[in-house]
Amino acid sequence: MDIILNSYILFRLYVLFRGTHVFRVLIGIALLWFSQRVAVALGLVLTSWAIQGITAAAAFIIIVVFRNEIRSVLQAKNLKAILWGVPHRITKTPIETVIDTAFELAGKKIGAIMVFPGMDDLDELIQGGINWDGLVSREMINSIFWHDNPVHDGAVIIEGNRIKKVGAVLPLSRRDDLPSSYGTRHRAAAGLAEMTDALVLVVSEERGTVVLAEGSNVGTVNDKNVLVRTLEGHIGSTKEQWGYRKKEKREFAIAALAALVLISAVWFSFTRGQERLVAFDIPVEYVNRNPAMEIVDSSVNAVHVGLSGSGTLIKSIRPDQVKVRLDLSTAAVGRNSFVITSEDIGLPPGVVLRKVNPSTVEVTLDIPGEKVLPVQVDWVGKLRKGLMLTSAKVFPAKVQVKGGKTILDTLSTIYTEKVRLDQIEKSGSLEVKLALEPATLKIAPGSRDSVTVDYFVKERVSSLPAR
Amino acid sequence: MRQFWLLILAVIFWVMAVSTADVRAQEKKGVPPNGSEEKLSLVEAIVCEDMKGSTPVNGAIVFSSDLEKIYCLTSFDPVPREMDIYHEWYRRDELKAKVRLTLKPPRWSTFSSMRIRRSDRGPWRVTITDQEGKVLRTVRFSITE
Repeated sequence: MDIILNSYILFRLYVLFRGTHVFRVLIGIALLWFSQRVAVALGLVLTSWAIQGITAAAAFIIIVVFRNEIRSVLQAKNLKAILWGVPHRITKTPIETVIDTAFELAGKKIGAIMVFPGMDDLDELIQGGINWDGLVSREMINSIFWHDNPVHDGAVIIEGNRIKKVGAVLPLSRRDDLPSSYGTRHRAAAGLAEMTDALVLVVSEERGTVVLAEGSNVGTVNDKNVLVRTLEGHIGSTKEQWGYRKKEKREFAIAALAALVLISAVWFSFTRGQERLVAFDIPVEYVNRNPAMEIVDSSVNAVHVGLSGSGTLIKSIRPDQVKVRLDLSTAAVGRNSFVITSEDIGLPPGVVLRKVNPSTVEVTLDIPGEKVLPVQVDWVGKLRKGLMLTSAKVFPAKVQVKGGKTILDTLSTIYTEKVRLDQIEKSGSLEVKLALEPATLKIAPGSRDSVTVDYFVKERVSSLPAR
Repeated sequence: MRQFWLLILAVIFWVMAVSTADVRAQEKKGVPPNGSEEKLSLVEAIVCEDMKGSTPVNGAIVFSSDLEKIYCLTSFDPVPREMDIYHEWYRRDELKAKVRLTLKPPRWSTFSSMRIRRSDRGPWRVTITDQEGKVLRTVRFSITE
């Protein structure tokens, strides 16, 4: 679960930030982090510290420097797009712009060759060239094929609304039946069209004509509308997008796999390695208790849990990540004994349970109830010689208490806290709190937790000697 | 006619005489005149340091454990018939002794006693019950230093 979740987060970061500068810097930071781990593994303390510092600073700098780019990525997308969606960058080729520019170049007798890939992969057939990735525009095409431009002899590869590559060298056709007036540019167009499903548009420098090569057909096109229809037929949205989607899907599949492999590697580097021990006092949580019962007593509130795992995992583990949960679904009224097993203990992945102390927990359950009990004062100490405590009135004389039914059944009186007799000289009144024993006993709402005692003292008049 | 009225008067006198005799007889037996048995009534319950005859000495609610013995006196009036009552001595909620005492009509006073030691310090109570176990009264006191 940990691996899958983190792989997905990494994959989403790739999907959201691919093609941006942030992504490249993130890769840089990842490499720095990896170097730091290697340095740690090799015991290069100073190097690891230095890299750690650089990584921390870089992470901070990336947020500051690329805040606008990050903001644009996050603001432009809704939550669904961030968590799930795939941003498609495909856009339609501005065919009319391309054709207008082609005829403009033809009018100026400037040679040009433009490739519109189909579904076939052209990478193995095209040689050289410079990656460009610029938006298609009249000015851009004009400037690429301008005589003084170093790349004007090569072909441009147009995918979607972008010129992906300029100065590309295409394979030449070996056909003999091509018109003798066709030069190298035409042969290159014919060559690529023969070998792939790409459509190649050539502007003849000598005759100022526009020639289209598709499959084995090579011919001059004079009508702009015919050319528009042909190009639309070739790079019509379905075909073009299908090809692009296929490529994009492949890219995402590779990215997802890479994220999975990377996170798995990080995970296993965490979970393996030198074993380390740690112990925590974890509070016991009781679950699935019958709602009609309540816990009136337990032998322990927390257990001592000994764990082991790789140094990195153990170092990062916190006590709140360890849970001890006892299932009380089988518990009955009275005292229940539970042995804590590994199933009762929730641990972070990769951490192994070594010991639990105590391994047995006694839990007493009872059905809650209420009872009205008379109050009795718990006098202690010694009354002064010659005095007698003849009577006392307690107000309220009875209080309502709540607690476990089993305990309530054994009680017939509730006593006050101890009241010392030593200070009593004459009749008077005092306020005293009730002693709730056992501690699970509670005063019911509406009853007081203390009582008023009016006591009456008199001098001893008796034949019995005062003791 | 005069004889008739004399006869009526004689019958009235006879009825009155008979009913008065019944009441006297019932009073002698301790049975209330209306035919239902008179209820036992506890008029006094006290814990004391000593007894002089049937009189409690130094009734109190706190007793020193230096005393050898304490007493619980109960007085009943009326006592409808000869019957038993019980004095149950508790220290906290632990029953220490249950003493059976016999009452005799028409009124009766009786007591039980408890020998006390230092270890008996704490709150006590004596519950007085009839022979059906019905609690007639509870007397609360403490044994202290």
